[in-house]
Amino acid sequence: MRPRGGGALSEALLRTEGLTRHFRVGKLTSRQTLHAVDDVDLTIGRGEIVALVGESGSGKSTIARLLALVHRPTRGEIWFEDRPLSRLRGRRSRLAYSAAVPMVFQDPYSSINPAYRVSHGIVRGMKLHRGDLSRTGRGAELNRVLDAVGLVPAGETRRRFPYELSGGQRQRVGFAQALALRPKLIVADEPVSMLDVSIRVGVLNLMGELREQEGVSFLYITHDVASARYLADRILVMYAGHLVEEGPTEDVLQRPKHPYTQLLVSAVPDPRAELGLADARDVGEPPKVVDPKPGCRFRQRCPLAVAECETVTPQLRELGDGRRVACHVAS
Amino acid sequence: MSASSIGATDQLATPPIGPKPLVAEVGGGRLGDIWRAISRNRKAVAGLLLLLVFVVVSIFPGQIAPDDPTAQTYPPALGPSWHHLLGTTSLRQDIFSQLIFGTRLSLVIALAVGAIATVLAVLIGVSAAYLGGIADGILSLVTDVILVLPIFPLIIVITAYRKNSGLFMLIIVLGVLGWSYGARQLRSQALSLRTREFLESARVRGERRLYVILFEILPTMTSLIVATFLGSALYAVLAAAGLQFIGLGDPNSQSWGTMLYWAQSNEALFAGMPWWALAPGICLALLGAAFALLNYAFDEISSPALRVRKLERSRIPGRLPSPADTTPAVAPDRSVLKVEGLSVAYATDAGPVVAVDNVDLDVGRGEFLAIVGESGCGKSTLLYAIARLLGAPLPGEIIGGRVLFQGQDLVLLEERELRRVRWRDLSVVMQSAMNALNPVLTVAEQMRDACRAHSKMSKAEIEERSREVLRLVSIDPVHLHSYPHQLSGGMRQRAMIAMALLFTPDLVIMDEPTSALDVVAQRSLMVQIKELQERLGFAVIFVTHDMSLVSHFSDRLLVMYAGQVAELSSTRELFDRPRHPYSQGLLEAFPSIRGPKVRLLGIPGSPPDLAHPPAGCRFAPRCAHVQPRCTEGEVPLSTVNGSVVRCVLAEEGH
Ligand SMILES: Nc1ncnc2c1ncn2[C@@H]1O[C@H](COP(=O)(O)OP(=O)(O)OP(=O)(O)O)[C@@H](O)[C@H]1O
Ligand code: SF4
Ligand code: SF4
Ligand SMILES: [Mg+2]
Repeated sequence: MRPRGGGALSEALLRTEGLTRHFRVGKLTSRQTLHAVDDVDLTIGRGEIVALVGESGSGKSTIARLLALVHRPTRGEIWFEDRPLSRLRGRRSRLAYSAAVPMVFQDPYSSINPAYRVSHGIVRGMKLHRGDLSRTGRGAELNRVLDAVGLVPAGETRRRFPYELSGGQRQRVGFAQALALRPKLIVADEPVSMLDVSIRVGVLNLMGELREQEGVSFLYITHDVASARYLADRILVMYAGHLVEEGPTEDVLQRPKHPYTQLLVSAVPDPRAELGLADARDVGEPPKVVDPKPGCRFRQRCPLAVAECETVTPQLRELGDGRRVACHVAS
Repeated sequence: MSASSIGATDQLATPPIGPKPLVAEVGGGRLGDIWRAISRNRKAVAGLLLLLVFVVVSIFPGQIAPDDPTAQTYPPALGPSWHHLLGTTSLRQDIFSQLIFGTRLSLVIALAVGAIATVLAVLIGVSAAYLGGIADGILSLVTDVILVLPIFPLIIVITAYRKNSGLFMLIIVLGVLGWSYGARQLRSQALSLRTREFLESARVRGERRLYVILFEILPTMTSLIVATFLGSALYAVLAAAGLQFIGLGDPNSQSWGTMLYWAQSNEALFAGMPWWALAPGICLALLGAAFALLNYAFDEISSPALRVRKLERSRIPGRLPSPADTTPAVAPDRSVLKVEGLSVAYATDAGPVVAVDNVDLDVGRGEFLAIVGESGCGKSTLLYAIARLLGAPLPGEIIGGRVLFQGQDLVLLEERELRRVRWRDLSVVMQSAMNALNPVLTVAEQMRDACRAHSKMSKAEIEERSREVLRLVSIDPVHLHSYPHQLSGGMRQRAMIAMALLFTPDLVIMDEPTSALDVVAQRSLMVQIKELQERLGFAVIFVTHDMSLVSHFSDRLLVMYAGQVAELSSTRELFDRPRHPYSQGLLEAFPSIRGPKVRLLGIPGSPPDLAHPPAGCRFAPRCAHVQPRCTEGEVPLSTVNGSVVRCVLAEEGH
């Protein structure tokens, strides 16, 4: 693996600035605002695999949907190849971006239309985004991407229906759909969490290979910290809509700075290590971020909290070596 | 049924790789498969034949009917005879010929109304679901209003008002008022599709809305659309006949409904011409029955869960003992549960599938036994079989073996006797608490129901006990009066466990109770389960697909593969010296968070289709150590240093 630090901005393929997304919740009379993602700055370099980890509800999938143009940001900007997405005008340029940044979904049992053969989604993608391809060109490309994701023999698998495939094979179809668009960055939202243990590694390895062979970057969203360590160059940790820590994967996981990252890492079951019971009393209740007041969102659970944490929202600070942490106490 | 077994229904109804859905075949144009499905379904065949008869008659009435139906040339009010099979009317017409010629119009009304109603239902139902928000609100309101309107009087008023416009008007009115039921169903199915990721995938791909509705949503709803058509055709047959019977919609046209009208106005039944009224009535009933049969058959074909399959025991290979030949034995004192040779089969289209094959296991008092394996390896089925939760409404049948619990064989117990055991002495915690808890009852109400069903506790005692068990699992008793959706995922799982502990059972069976939780919540729940177990002394059977989760908690570990025991040993031993190549593969499939970073390989291939398990060792197709003797015959279990292993290499210390 080739670890890459968070390089200079010119190297960035995609970056976000103050990315924020709120949702209106509650009844008409008592409108409230749910802060799903607040003020997130992140960068993804060319050919880099970045893992985004955090508990469910922390805003990981909202970030994926913002990058995939499913949601519009409430505030903030996404820059792709140094162009701001808010200035994307017209269907044509939106389509071009969608092809460069496709998404792979979590549930292999619902992410492929059961009414069509495996080839359907892949061919549709090419029809929409690669008008230059002729019919035979599409056929050849279809075989190439099925080959690339290990669905061999391609000539046979392309005629299968989803129900004839196992979960791991379906997930590979998802990657083939993305690959057919000649992507630069694949946003993979929990792509292995619903797969069996024995085939998970296969899909993780596939992402590694696609990066090596096709030069694709990945945003790998997961709650499985160990798989993030296995695959990613850099890791971003989210808590309650905020990015709380980031840095090279190995550094962050071996020497976590933020108290939440520490809790998260210690809770990962590891048969090769002692059971970490020190903070097992934490029952893992994340806060609901509805109309939040300033202050650290982790403070109710934090063993290190100080007075400042009640009133001042910690911002990401540089710690050197590409590491950043949002905490008043950590250093 | 207890709350926990409701959860069981939800899970087994959607097996990981389920029976193939019909929609796939429809969408792919695999007409051969549909045809096969139809020809195997008796209701479908009967309905089709019936419909075919009517279609033929309606196309060739002239060739079939002996006379001109309008000719008024016969003696009036004759009884049935060779000449006039059903007699004649008081208007001097041949009843049989009228019946034959009336078929066409009756059928046309049914099909035309069916088509109009279906198109409207699809348009309105699917748009409402897909557009959501205000559009959905308005469309649904209209649908519901039409659904509760007294349609029949309304139709009468409308058709009576435009009496002279006749048949065409009748069809339009029936079609326009008949879509609401279908629309409601289509809307709810489309709504459930809306959260399916393939739609999001299409949108992210950049597809336009119309494409998504027409080419992504509709093809997956073919079965419901066909069902809507058949349903509204049935409604049209009855409604049109009713209207014509009271003289609306052109009484001079040739149809069964108008025959009824004339028969009625000439008092046919009392004037010796019973067939004038009876014959069209019977035909209407038959045509309605044809649509109803097809509708029902289509439902069955498209949702395999409705199909009643019989387990063909004779097609199950091997010599499995049937439950009847086993005599109950007393379990030895030290174990709470002893399972011997337990086998469970599902009836599927491909024949019987043995999902649990000859499993032996025992659980000691206060022991924590973990069962691990991939999806579809039969873990859940084994649990359901032990708790005797299989059988209607859940599919699956125990085809052999014994489950000895407290000295009795649960397999032989009646449902009534089981109720005394379940929950009091043996309780079950299901995979998804959201499915297993009743969403419309508070935690307190669900606990009260459980206590009432299984004991004679007083109201005060129940309240007291409920608080006590909630405190046991670290939930503040203020949540007693919360509904499940008001609790977080972790709290719901805890509440489920609290309910399982209401009677301090000897054995608690848990199916992936933590798989929906985040790691932090997961660890805290595991620690809690372990503490409770040590404090209260119950035994646990804990099913999971994640070996590392139980590494610090279980005493022994049972690895299942393709319905069989692959390895059973003490947890430490299994992690340190896995003997079965599958256990080794599983251990090497987990990236570690601390150890050295090495490239992992996982296990190549995927688990076998249990309808056609490979001969010999079931793991052979994926095993790196496979050799000829592995596939020659069944590989028996062997015991090596206290571990039980199903592998020919076991003795060589692999
Ligand atoms: N209703 C059913 N009809 C037919 N086969 C079924 C049914 N339910 C389950 N099966 C089959 O029985 C086998 C065992 O299923 P089971 O649900 O017990 O597996 P599992 O190990 O619990 O999987 P998971 O981890 O996904 O829950 C599978 O091959 C499955 O497809
Ligand atoms: S800012 Fe304060 S409360 Fe937040 S993590 Fe740091 S120490 Fe804890
Ligand atoms: S019996 Fe043979 S094929 Fe089966 S696990 Fe052992 S070595 Fe592998
Ligand atoms: Mg299961």
